[in-house]
Amino acid sequence: MTGTFGSISAGRWAMIAIGIVLAALFPLVYHDPYYMTIIVTGEIVLILNISWNFVLGMAGVWNFGQLAIYALGAYGSGWLMLHHSGIPVPIAIVLGGVFSGVISVLLAFPTLRLFGIYTSLLTFSFAQVVQYVAVNNPHNLTGGSFGFPEVPGLFPDLGQSDYLRAYYWVCAAVIVVSCFAVAWLRQSHLGIALRSIRDAPAYTAARGVNPRAARVAAFGLSGFLAGIAGGLYLSFEQSFTTSQMGLTPMSLDVTMLVIGGLGTVSGPLIGTAILTVIQTKLINYPGWQLTVLGATLLVIVIFVPGGVVGLIGRLDRRLRAWVAEDADEAEEPAPG
Amino acid sequence: MSAALTVRGLVAGYDRSVVIDGLDLEVADGATAVVIGPNGHGKTTLLRAVSGLIKPFRGEVELGGERIDGMAAEAIAKKGVVHVMQGDGLFVEMTVEENLLMGAFPGGSWRGRRAALKRVYSELPAVEERKGHKARTLSGGERRLVGLGRGMMRQGRLLLIDEPSLGLAPVAIEAVYAVIRRLRSEASSAIVLIEENFTHVGGVADVVHILEAGRIVRSGPFAELAADRTVVETYLGSIAEAPS
Amino acid sequence: MTDIVAIIANGVVYGSIYGLVAIGMTLIYGTLRILDMSQGSMVMVGGYVGWWALATHGVNPIVALVLAFAFTFALGTATELVSVQPLISRRHEVDFELVTFITTFAVAIFLTNVALQHFGPFQQNVPTIVGGNLKLYHGVSISYHELTMAAISVILMGGLGLFLARTRWGLAVRAVAQDLDAARSLAVPVTRLYPLTMGLASALAGVGGVFLGALYFASPTAGDLPLLFALIVVVLGGLGSLTGTLYAAYLVGMTQSFCEVEIGTTWTLPILYGAILVILIFRPYGLKGSPSEVRL
Repeated sequence: MTGTFGSISAGRWAMIAIGIVLAALFPLVYHDPYYMTIIVTGEIVLILNISWNFVLGMAGVWNFGQLAIYALGAYGSGWLMLHHSGIPVPIAIVLGGVFSGVISVLLAFPTLRLFGIYTSLLTFSFAQVVQYVAVNNPHNLTGGSFGFPEVPGLFPDLGQSDYLRAYYWVCAAVIVVSCFAVAWLRQSHLGIALRSIRDAPAYTAARGVNPRAARVAAFGLSGFLAGIAGGLYLSFEQSFTTSQMGLTPMSLDVTMLVIGGLGTVSGPLIGTAILTVIQTKLINYPGWQLTVLGATLLVIVIFVPGGVVGLIGRLDRRLRAWVAEDADEAEEPAPG
Repeated sequence: MSAALTVRGLVAGYDRSVVIDGLDLEVADGATAVVIGPNGHGKTTLLRAVSGLIKPFRGEVELGGERIDGMAAEAIAKKGVVHVMQGDGLFVEMTVEENLLMGAFPGGSWRGRRAALKRVYSELPAVEERKGHKARTLSGGERRLVGLGRGMMRQGRLLLIDEPSLGLAPVAIEAVYAVIRRLRSEASSAIVLIEENFTHVGGVADVVHILEAGRIVRSGPFAELAADRTVVETYLGSIAEAPS
Repeated sequence: MTDIVAIIANGVVYGSIYGLVAIGMTLIYGTLRILDMSQGSMVMVGGYVGWWALATHGVNPIVALVLAFAFTFALGTATELVSVQPLISRRHEVDFELVTFITTFAVAIFLTNVALQHFGPFQQNVPTIVGGNLKLYHGVSISYHELTMAAISVILMGGLGLFLARTRWGLAVRAVAQDLDAARSLAVPVTRLYPLTMGLASALAGVGGVFLGALYFASPTAGDLPLLFALIVVVLGGLGSLTGTLYAAYLVGMTQSFCEVEIGTTWTLPILYGAILVILIFRPYGLKGSPSEVRL
């Protein structure tokens, strides 16, 4: 049935529902704090990836400044938490998201005139500038490379395992909401506009879609979500260092998106999951981690450009075609 | 002796759209075939499919009996196909002389290239005059001559010329066709020349083929087609007197 | 006055080396229309070759340079074959520029971490090519090493220019950059030309790496900064414009030199990137480049 979230069959809905229930129940049965921390961190990265996927994959904008936006969200909400402790922490996080969303919108404007590569260079330069300013720690706003000072978290009074669980649920909720939001946006005017801009820019202008507004909106929305991820990270880890913005996390995140399937709704989920698992396994071999990463990225981009989701989609179609052939044969009347 | 060019059942186009739809053509060694037809019906596509710039969807293309369809353009060029493209395809940031030298790129010695250059300059003094100038400073007619000259730098088996009169004033067109006529008589290569209409081709065509909707619909000697009222009316342009 | 002499002297030195590294990227963009993000790691590799040759094996500096050239040439060729070539046949189906940005970036990550695995995260001292200093003016001096670096960079860039302007293959490279179809129809073997071009560009960076190694140590991340600088130069100069790259390189060199002398080195990159931000807002194609023309 084609609803507000796109064509999702009843079966798919059932799977999604089951998945959500299982995910929600998970922390009730699993307790290892080390892995739970990794999982929560993974969730936050996933939120960031979802936001990045929206602007990079769905809108097709070469935005390589997303991590700086993420960082700005962290710094923004952190500043509020430190200096305006009257504001409840969740609100501070949301406001941090608003802050980064606004900056993201501002970043969008100069990219409107640029083509492809130059957008990447512009956004990349932006990220570099943000990183350098942050490292230099003007007016002690960012804590430099040592990290942002401790802030009151979302759940300052909980014990460790409860703390982890609470964050798990909060992040999971954000993930679920944003996935649905992305799926909905995809089918909305905005999503269609963005996709047509990405895939066939010439047609777009002819059909009266306003590419500028669409792009600015995409930047704003993804910036907002990235900022929230930043705020969540800061409050969870109780720190935020400038290395969070560097080339390494950026490469990791890009790989997650690509492996999962750039531009799809479930891509970030799959990609983040796979890579988090791999990273965890290879944690004792930092050099290997990234060597494998580099090689994997290369291979996937070349041979499986649609990522895992694309692969599954293709297999799925082939399966259906095969099933359909069988069905056709079964329906044909017996010769005679 | 096999024909210079044989095309059988060619189906070619771009992305998903088919432009050439089952085309057959044969050009004898040393002959000049002119293909005319309305714009958008596949003339340029035909040449690009022959020279390998696009890969045919189906069909066969043979150069002197040897299959070349599906080969890379660079390889086909090496086998002796010279393609003078529509819009000239000149390297605009290079000088005229550099453009010409590129025409002799495949193989040969430095001396051989210089000799070819000398030969082309003697045929095209107007080009030699501008030899040190960047191609983008040239007029349309001059560019056309340079494009032709570049094609003349190699003795190919097959010379493909795409709309040499396009966008030129009558005087320039005359100059261009004078060169083509000389080429025809002096060089041994077969020539496939495409134009949108009849106007200038009388003096150069051994055979005229009419290409419509991706196929050759009519072929024959120029005189015969020129005398056919319907053909003339359909394909616009008056027939210039074929020079003797 | 001493300041000015220092600024100019250092500016010329920096500009030359930036030119060397960036001109490779411009060459690649001109022919392949891609932004090669592995160029920085070629500098890094060059640094290691320099260290291996000079520090551990005490080889003649010229041999070290030649080794670096050869090794990074091979590496660059391999990079093209692995990260670009497979995508060329699909260049119209996918966003070729974006995808190759990612694949060359992936190669950079791979190389950096192979170096990390093999050599560890330590900074290695690379000996200078030539020892000693040249006194210029009232306490301003330049090391002979830096002078040699600048000289060799200029010579190599000049060599590249000559290659492109005067040789048959250089002409072919320019042809491919200006009109790919026309070049193909003239039998230019583009599938061979692409890896060679990328090899050549990487080799230039590799040679630069040997020199830079003495100034900034050889380490797995030694390529990061050169990449950032090269990107700045290439954007400022206009992608695909050789002369633009040259001007931009010296401009950037002077800026860095100025910052070093007057303000403080940490401000160099932010200022440069800030400049790029501003410039791209007003001139979407960089200072010199224009959208359709590639001026190789």
